[in-house]
Order: sequence, then structure tokens, then C-alpha cells
Amino acid sequence: MLTIALSKGRLADQTLDLMEKAGYDVTAAREKSRKLILEDQEAGLRFILAKPSDVPTYVEYGAADIGVVGKDTLLEEGRQLYEVLDLGLGKCRMCVAGPASLKDKLDEIPNKRVGTKYPNITRNYFEGVKKESVEIIKLNGSVELAPLTGLAEVIVDIVESGRTLYENGLDVLETVADISARLVVNRVSMKMKADEIKPMISRLRDALQEQEGEN
Amino acid sequence: MGNKFYTPDGFTDQVPGFCAFKRDMEARLRNLFLMNGYEEIETPGIEYFDVYRSFVAEEELYKFSDGKGRLLCTRYDGTIPVARYAAGRNDTMPTRLFYIENMYRAGQIGGGKQSGFTQAGIELLGASGSKSDAEVLALAIKSALELGITDLQVSLGQVQFFKGLSRQLGLNDETIAKIKTAIANRDSVTIEKLDLSREDRDTLLMITESGGTYDTIDQMLPRVTDESAKEALANIKEILDIMERYGYLKYVSVDLGLIESIDYYTGMVFKGYTYEVGFPIFTGGRYDDALKTFGKDMAAVGFSISLTLSMTALMRQDKFTPAAGVKVIVGGDFEAAMVTAEALRAEGTAAALDTTGMTEEELDAYAKAKGIETIMYMDGGKA
Repeated sequence: MLTIALSKGRLADQTLDLMEKAGYDVTAAREKSRKLILEDQEAGLRFILAKPSDVPTYVEYGAADIGVVGKDTLLEEGRQLYEVLDLGLGKCRMCVAGPASLKDKLDEIPNKRVGTKYPNITRNYFEGVKKESVEIIKLNGSVELAPLTGLAEVIVDIVESGRTLYENGLDVLETVADISARLVVNRVSMKMKADEIKPMISRLRDALQEQEGEN
Repeated sequence: MGNKFYTPDGFTDQVPGFCAFKRDMEARLRNLFLMNGYEEIETPGIEYFDVYRSFVAEEELYKFSDGKGRLLCTRYDGTIPVARYAAGRNDTMPTRLFYIENMYRAGQIGGGKQSGFTQAGIELLGASGSKSDAEVLALAIKSALELGITDLQVSLGQVQFFKGLSRQLGLNDETIAKIKTAIANRDSVTIEKLDLSREDRDTLLMITESGGTYDTIDQMLPRVTDESAKEALANIKEILDIMERYGYLKYVSVDLGLIESIDYYTGMVFKGYTYEVGFPIFTGGRYDDALKTFGKDMAAVGFSISLTLSMTALMRQDKFTPAAGVKVIVGGDFEAAMVTAEALRAEGTAAALDTTGMTEEELDAYAKAKGIETIMYMDGGKA
């Protein structure tokens, strides 16, 4: 029995589509109910629906063998996992954004205040890549408000189309990382349940390649 | 203050029953290590920060200072204090040491990962070569079996293999870093996309997918030209030979991608896994460079097993029964009860003595509540 942690929401549905394409019976997981654990004895699969930011935790501790989660969450949580496949789902970018007037002038502001839902990614980027100390302001949503209200000079956030930014007079200033959903595996499960997990990885990889061929 | 009822985050009490079970595990490992010629050492539990400075991230050490303002920290692992001790002496080599101690690690994220836990481990110092490597690996496997962990899988790697292969492929530091991450993540897709020859990419892919024993080495050998990478494979082969003689080959598989701690280890590395815990229960390897930090050039190989994780595994595998407490209580007339209790103890039966003057009914109720099987009520000759 493999336990698979899915990120609640659209990503869960997309993951199930891909698994179906790879030949797995995921009807149990499609069931519309309030159940948090969906099990299919015959297929040997158990799905748990977790908040995306919790998926790496479930997998690291072995409460789930496998998980599907965005690279943003993996970077932020910094867990010890095997990150075996880029599923190419939910593609977007982690960016530094701010008033369009700051374009190419980001380095000119000293002692920046940065609003973000991702304090670890932000710290790693400014301290590790840009070699600069910043003041990080942890926010929980509508991060674009921070530069508009003067709470922070810039933000670090996920950018998909960039529409929210542009409509508020903001723009992408720098790209921190490319983001997409990844298949992660617990390091012990990879060993103890290799007979189930390794075939699953290669079937999903094949399904992905097939999908790429179609597009 | 408001915290007086609680243990700090990441720390737990070993409650009766569990504690007894754990002491029994410790006793079995102590005996095993002694039987194999290892001597026990107890380090103070508090070290100068300088001892750990080059080995452990600052955030992971609990720190405070002594009366002179020198920075101290709590014991993070068993190996480094033992290395410090051995480096300061001129003992005849090889030296075999073991420890069973509590370790303290700060900065562990999230609940569930313990900041305080117990490890048992051995260090074989001043002994190089495959036979010494194999002794340590065999003892790691014996330890797990001794504790009752029979669903055991051990990954065996060799960090010189990857170092040698990187040289052979003539890669720059940036590419090596990328490959290291990809291998550590078992991420074959990134390796597929590398700008290398088909053959070289296949070699790297084989690292991420290795998992056999002799077959893995045989497949890899023709692809390797670097001398130290070849030696690494020969080292693994010799260790496998010895494991076979112990009857332990069924537990071991080769994993050349075991390179997460490549900067610390210098040769063989291994990790032991079982069901129902998400982390390896034991880890070990050869660390010949660590003693150089303490000014000594000394070969060293060792392993440690987490008693805390082992206990969790045994519990979840239904192989754990909390040890029962005392089975006999003696009460009633105090003089007679005391003599009886002492007599029982002298013949090896654990017995509790009522010191509160309970009546027969009260003693009955008490024994029932405590799960004590036998009650002896002394009437003091009045009957």
C-alpha cells in the first residue's frame, strides 16, 4: 500500500489526471466527499488530501510515501526528501516585484523591507544570492498590498500571468526561481517500498513524455 | 512561569514502562559491543563550541557560556567528542570505543522530530581497510537485529566513487554541484538534460538507480577509469564478501548515490532503514579526515543507531510491550511485611512494601489500580 499526499485544490486534480494517464485507477481519489483519506485496497493506493505547505512534512516523516507539491513549497520548507520528477504542472515564477519605477534600480535601495508569504525563500535569495541583508515582513495573502501601502518597498511572491501586479502599477523586478509541481518521495520508502515506487516513477515519467509529445 | 508543567519543544519524558524497555535495549547493545571488544566511554555532555565548530551548523547547537565567557554547547553526536578524546592521546592503535548517550540538537523544524534522543554507537579508530569497514557495518546490522528490528534494509555506498567519477568525467564545479543535487534528489530528469555524452549520462543515471549488490558493481566497473573510483568499488565488493560470510548479504544493497554527507565521510557510507519510520534508524561510515581537525592523522570508522527511532519502529511494528512494573506488594503489619518483602527481594523477586498502613481492602484496590498481580497481607500474628 502506497500513501500519496496530494496538495488540495487544482493541483490534486491535475495529478490524478496524470496518474490516470499512467494507467493507475484513481476513482477512489475522485470521490467527492469530505473524507480526508481515500483508500483503494485493490489498487494498493491511499490518497491523503493535505494543505500544500503540509505535503513535504507528511512525506519527510514518512506519514506519506509520496507527495505532489509545488517547488515553491519545497524551497520554503527545505525538507529532506527525494525530489524525483518535475511534473510540469502549475508552472509559474517566484519573483521579486515592486513599483515599475524600481525596474533595474532594485540594488539602489538600501535596507529594503520585503513583504512575502515565503520568508525562507526570501532570506535565501537576498542573503545567499544577492549578499544583502533585508528586513522581511511575513504576510499571509494579498502581498501586493505591501508596496502599495508603504509597508514594504518590494515583495517576493509567485507570479503566474502578472495581471494582478500590472493592474496595481507593479512589475516583476527579478526572478528568484522557476516553479512547477514536483513528485517527492520519502527517503526510507524509496528503499523499503522500491518495488511499488520505482515503477510508479517510470510510468509517470513515460506519461509525461507522451503528454509533451501531444502538445 | 507558565511553562512549569511542560517539557521543552522536542523533548519528552521516558515514562515508566517505556523507560524500562529502553534500558533493556541499552543493556542488550552494551553487551553486544562489549562482546565485540569495544570499551564504553562517557563524554561529559557539554563541550566547548570549538569542538563542534567545523562539523555542525551553529543553529543546531544549544549554546551557553562558562564562568569565563567561553562558549559551550551540548552533545550533538557521539562521534566528535570521541574523536576529540582520541586525538588528545597516544594510545596504541587500533582503539575500539562505544557510547550510549543522549544527544541534543537544536533547530529541528516542526513537531515530531526530537531535539533530545538517545543514540548508541561505536568508533573503530586507527584501523583502515575493508575488513575494518565491514566490522562496523556488521555490528550495525547486529545491533538492529538485537533490538528486534528484522525488517531491515541497508544501503551501502562509497563517497570516493562519486569523487573519482567527477574527475573522470572532467566536470567543472558548477556541473558537479548540479549533479550532486540531482543524485541526492534521485532526480533522473535533470541528469537526462545535462550536456554530456549519452554514455556518461547513463553512468550517472545508474548511480541514481543502483540498488543491487554484486551486479551493481559489475555493471559499473567497465564504465570507470579513475583509479580511486575503481578502488571504491573494490572496497564495496570486499565488504559485500564479508557480509555474505556473516549471512547479512540479504540486508544489504549498493547505493552509489549515498553522497549527502560527502564532505564529512571519506570512504564507505551506509544507512539502515525499516518500516514505519520515515528516517534511517542507523547511519555510519568512514571519516578519516575528521581527526585532522584535532591535529591528528588517524583512520576512523563508526556508526550510530537511534534508540528513540528504533523504539518508535518497534512500537509501530507491534513488537513493543512496555515493561511491567513490580508484581508483588506486601502490606498489613509493618514488621512482618518488611521481613517478608526483604526475604522476597533476597531470592530475586521484586516486591514493594506498603509504608502507608493500608487496610486489606485498600491494598486490594491499590494493587488493582497499579496492575500488581500478587498481594501479601500480613496480619501480624493476631489471627
